[in-house]
Amino acid sequence: MSQVTEVVKIRRKVFAELARMTFVGTLEKDVAAILNTVVTEEGPRYRCCVHKERAVLHNRINLALSQPMTNNIFEAASAAIQGNQSNMPVMNVLPEACDQCPIDKFLVTDACRNCIAHNCMASCPKKAINVVANRAYIDKNKCVECGLCKKSCSYGAIIEISRPCERACDLGAIQAGADRRASIDYEKCVQCGACKTACPFGAVSDKSFIVQLIQSLKSEKRVYAILAPAFIGQFGFKVKPGQVVAALKQIGFYDIYEASFGADLVTMTETEELTEILAHDPKSFLTTSCCPAFVGMVKKHMPEIAGHVSTTVSPMVATGTMIRDKDPEAVTVFIGPCVAKKVEAEEAHGIIDYVVTFEELASMMVGAGINLAEVEPSEYHSIASRDGNGFACAGGVARSVIDTAAIVAPEVMLDVQRAEGLGECKKTLQQIRAGQISANFFEGMACSGGCVGGPCTLADQRVTGKLVANFAAEALVEESVKNQPAVDLLAKGGHWHRA
Amino acid sequence: MQKLVVEICVGTSCHLLGSQDLIQVVENLPAEIKCRIELQAATCLGACGKGPNIRVNGLVLSNMTPEQLQQIISDNV
Repeated sequence: MSQVTEVVKIRRKVFAELARMTFVGTLEKDVAAILNTVVTEEGPRYRCCVHKERAVLHNRINLALSQPMTNNIFEAASAAIQGNQSNMPVMNVLPEACDQCPIDKFLVTDACRNCIAHNCMASCPKKAINVVANRAYIDKNKCVECGLCKKSCSYGAIIEISRPCERACDLGAIQAGADRRASIDYEKCVQCGACKTACPFGAVSDKSFIVQLIQSLKSEKRVYAILAPAFIGQFGFKVKPGQVVAALKQIGFYDIYEASFGADLVTMTETEELTEILAHDPKSFLTTSCCPAFVGMVKKHMPEIAGHVSTTVSPMVATGTMIRDKDPEAVTVFIGPCVAKKVEAEEAHGIIDYVVTFEELASMMVGAGINLAEVEPSEYHSIASRDGNGFACAGGVARSVIDTAAIVAPEVMLDVQRAEGLGECKKTLQQIRAGQISANFFEGMACSGGCVGGPCTLADQRVTGKLVANFAAEALVEESVKNQPAVDLLAKGGHWHRA
Repeated sequence: MQKLVVEICVGTSCHLLGSQDLIQVVENLPAEIKCRIELQAATCLGACGKGPNIRVNGLVLSNMTPEQLQQIISDNV
């Protein structure tokens, strides 16, 4: 997350207000107050009028309640309080918020000198460029957006404009629909969240389960938190891990688990899978499977290599499975920086009940009146290895498997490649498949920097990346395979592969 | 030389509303100005929800933006 913009603030204020009302039990009665507190008559005003602001908020409140966006918000609040979630995709375009950005792709700027050569006109295959008012003019009815004019202009006076959401999506899954509003093609979308971060109007967002979760926390149920290893440093640089754990207990969680312990299970299982595959066919390769957006990209955009994706479950699912084995009545909640985990949880039926993001959790804390910076910390030591904690950063999963393989299968020669960003992952995998790059193990991360660069983080990854590395360095053991409790758990057998 | 004390709230509410962007402003100041500022982290300035909040010269200022903070610093240093 780079900067806390005004759209980000509004989203967080909505979450905090919804959480506050749910904790005190007045949501169904008071939900409409948000329309007057988050947006006021006095402003600040970002759109044409207060009515437009409220129409957008309507969409936003419904989405935060996991209800259809055009619903009546009182009905939506009741449904959420009862624990209901609408059967809708995770990522959604807020129809009122989308500004229907102009989509004239190529634009002649003031830098046009109306030169004599007119390379733009000469290069245009459709004769779409004329000179009007002493400047080149592109006839939109003829233009096919090939871009040759932009390339040919000696002044660089023709620029290419694309919608921020479109530009952010490496998979071409979001485009202007017939009404010029952004529209997501769910056949292509892997719900990575890149468009959410990119849209300056805050018009793309993910559904949230905070109200449903708070209802569980208020009940007698045993609710378990599974903290993603990227949580270090997310809640402010002064907030210690022990304070996060103490605050989770205060807010009603029964127990807190680290997904990095699951990462140790994943490392060992994936290493075993990799060595088996390479023993069978030394020329084959395996990719990681812990990033759900990466796995989704392979399934939807490169189905021919889907068989190369590791069948090992993700650290989230491994940890959830472990909790369920101990406590079948458990309510399991993954807390992380990721939108795509919400989809993964839906697909892993019955293992993970809710996924909330760091942003949503911090908003819940605010709603509950808990200030993490002032919470008395509880004793906290990671029970995962250094490598398991390192899963939060790009390169961490590969390193973990390399380290464990060096101990359990030193005879295997690993040839590792990795990529960050879905476009880069796709390109690198194509090159591996075509034999242009050699690799027998590939780490794919949808977000630049790995999970610490996720769309729902609360702090700069340049800072948190270092904090995660420092925290990991304090772990009791270095390699996953030296984490004895994890080794013992795997020795009992069990189900650590995707169905 | 008296330093200008800038307290930035890093409580959860202010953190969510962007206090780290304010810290960045101070961190990124030119060395000759930065050396005249004492940056302190506060855990609550009592105006949650109107954050990010800062305190300069004993005065709590709410809804602070990086641009406003920049202005306050150049006015006072």
